[in-house]
Amino acid sequence: MRRPISALAATTLVTALVATGTIGGLAGTAFSASADDAVGKATNVIYMVGDGMGRTHVTAARERFYGADGRLAMEALPSQGYVSTYAVEKLSGQPGTDDFRPNAVTDSASAATAWSSGVKTYNAALGVDAKGAIVPTVMELAKKAGYRTGNVSTAEITDATPAGQMSHALARGCQGPVYSEASCQDTSVTGAAVPTSDTRVTPIADQIARNGTADVILGGGLGRFDAADEEALVAQGYSVLGSIASQKTATKTDLAAATGRKVFGLFNTGNLTIEKAKQENPSSTQAQEPTLPEMTSKAIELLSQKKDQKSDKSDKGFYLQVEGALIDKRSHANDAAQTLEEIKAFDDAVAVAQDFADREGNTLVIVTADHECAGFNIIEKGTFTNAEAGTPPTNIDKGNTANNSEPSRPSNSLDADRSTGIVNGTGSADPGNFGPATFRTPTDPAGVVDGSPEAGLWLSYLSGNHTGADVPIYASGPGSEQLQGTTDNIALFGIVGRALRVVG
Amino acid sequence: MGLRSPKAGVALVGAVIAVGLIAGLTSFSLAAGGAEADSALPVVVPQASFPGLAAPSGEPELDGIVQAKPRPGEIVQVLGPFDERFELEGLAFDGTTVRGAVRVTSDVSEVLELQVLAGFYNDQGALLGTNRFVHHLADDGDSHTGSPEEREDFAIEVPAELASHAVSVALGVPVLVNE
Repeated sequence: MRRPISALAATTLVTALVATGTIGGLAGTAFSASADDAVGKATNVIYMVGDGMGRTHVTAARERFYGADGRLAMEALPSQGYVSTYAVEKLSGQPGTDDFRPNAVTDSASAATAWSSGVKTYNAALGVDAKGAIVPTVMELAKKAGYRTGNVSTAEITDATPAGQMSHALARGCQGPVYSEASCQDTSVTGAAVPTSDTRVTPIADQIARNGTADVILGGGLGRFDAADEEALVAQGYSVLGSIASQKTATKTDLAAATGRKVFGLFNTGNLTIEKAKQENPSSTQAQEPTLPEMTSKAIELLSQKKDQKSDKSDKGFYLQVEGALIDKRSHANDAAQTLEEIKAFDDAVAVAQDFADREGNTLVIVTADHECAGFNIIEKGTFTNAEAGTPPTNIDKGNTANNSEPSRPSNSLDADRSTGIVNGTGSADPGNFGPATFRTPTDPAGVVDGSPEAGLWLSYLSGNHTGADVPIYASGPGSEQLQGTTDNIALFGIVGRALRVVG
Repeated sequence: MGLRSPKAGVALVGAVIAVGLIAGLTSFSLAAGGAEADSALPVVVPQASFPGLAAPSGEPELDGIVQAKPRPGEIVQVLGPFDERFELEGLAFDGTTVRGAVRVTSDVSEVLELQVLAGFYNDQGALLGTNRFVHHLADDGDSHTGSPEEREDFAIEVPAELASHAVSVALGVPVLVNE
């Protein structure tokens, strides 16, 4: 039986929110980032997320596409550091409070809420804190302040990373087009089911179609929206590319021709198609989807156009979030070939953004990730991982008490049952094979091919899940110097918000 | 069911949240930069609900379940919003339970949410009633504890009161969220 949340429960939530420092956490975040009010004011902010992109993802893509002595576009940004990404358990307080209960490994929803709203929350939560209270997002604040706003993703636009800026949901699975109790409610947080009219259990697609938070929305997920959503979008002045009512996806041609200040274009009913598949099937319908660099370029074009073309008067500026979502999704699958191509596409989008920033002169560009995915790693050519071995590495100096602790291992050899060849080569047919994937690099001799033992880049995965490793961050433009060193992901809310003058 | 009016509840909850957020943001601004600097800061109170958007009154249905008229012994699939993302496999109906599997064919890192809706019909093809299978991965709050899995087995029982009359089944998927 479903019961509405009581007034007492709601009061308790909000009281707890204020008293225990959830909003105080917001203040602390901004305060710590605002030591110098003259620093970090930008006309535009472009915030780019390589979903699941850890430090090794970046290195592997560099070596694959530009060689060991090359450099990705994101690596050319002047400010560089790391971001800690941990989440918290349900009903946890914020850092520094007595009821603070961290969770070492975040999901995309909790991470998106951290940088979007400046609070730690539980995995699966979007735009609500760990006690279920709604928290405003930096995109909502930017919109309110008169900035133009955009949200671009290669995932369904209702997926966690884009949704974190423009929805509030107890559960990330509440994407639409319809409500279900299992996917939308979370009584372990709210105590009892909340009314179905409550924003927090309103399907994310319905929220996006009605709240006008982002002026430009480009990505996938047409299947999450229905005819009523299209009517709501059109009523707000959006140009809807393709047709939601008839589930006709938009194309790159539609995108190229798009004009106006509010554009909604979804190019696949689900997630966009991976780059490698489009490259290998250029005549397919999916190849008509725009790339991430193309969507980024168009979003910048639409958001940076002057309101009045006849005058030189500029708009206030814009805030754009761009996500390379499929880096994570293909890392979950331990598909290194596809992962690398997705990182390349994301980096090409970074180049587009940085090129605009260079021309415009006062744009903050931030490139980071929400979490690392799958323990991606580069191993030395010809070596093997623990997953392929019969035992862990030999503790060779076990007789020396100064060097030895617990383990005593006599040997370390390849397990023939667990390592049956390079997974994108001779071992590809064995589903139980833990062998590496290998790729040629620009400096490999002619004739060396992917999947061969001669290829220079050997890649392995730890798991099929997220890890708790810190992720890299690269930045340029006003305020970017704040991102050198290690930053927690909730501090990114304050840095971006202060750059846009929407957070004190 | 003896429940309080949802609209009244929403209004009250919304008002309380709004007051709380405004109060919170005020204290936040004061803490961060002082009253003078804060006067220009935007205050956003996210919508507590969406006026004009009909609140759902129950679990999702599929039009095709009502329209289907399967013949005795048949198991048919009806249209849903995600049909291009999965295939139904290994379907079997023994008069009391319909079993099978949903194999997600689109990009999968996790199947977060899944509902399979079953309609049960008599020997005239008339709909007798429905039941559903619900998969919700994040029950423990962590959606990434397991390995990626593209196949989800299901079993849906015929409601007890219909057990002796159901001779055919229609299936559809109204809810599917896969990363």
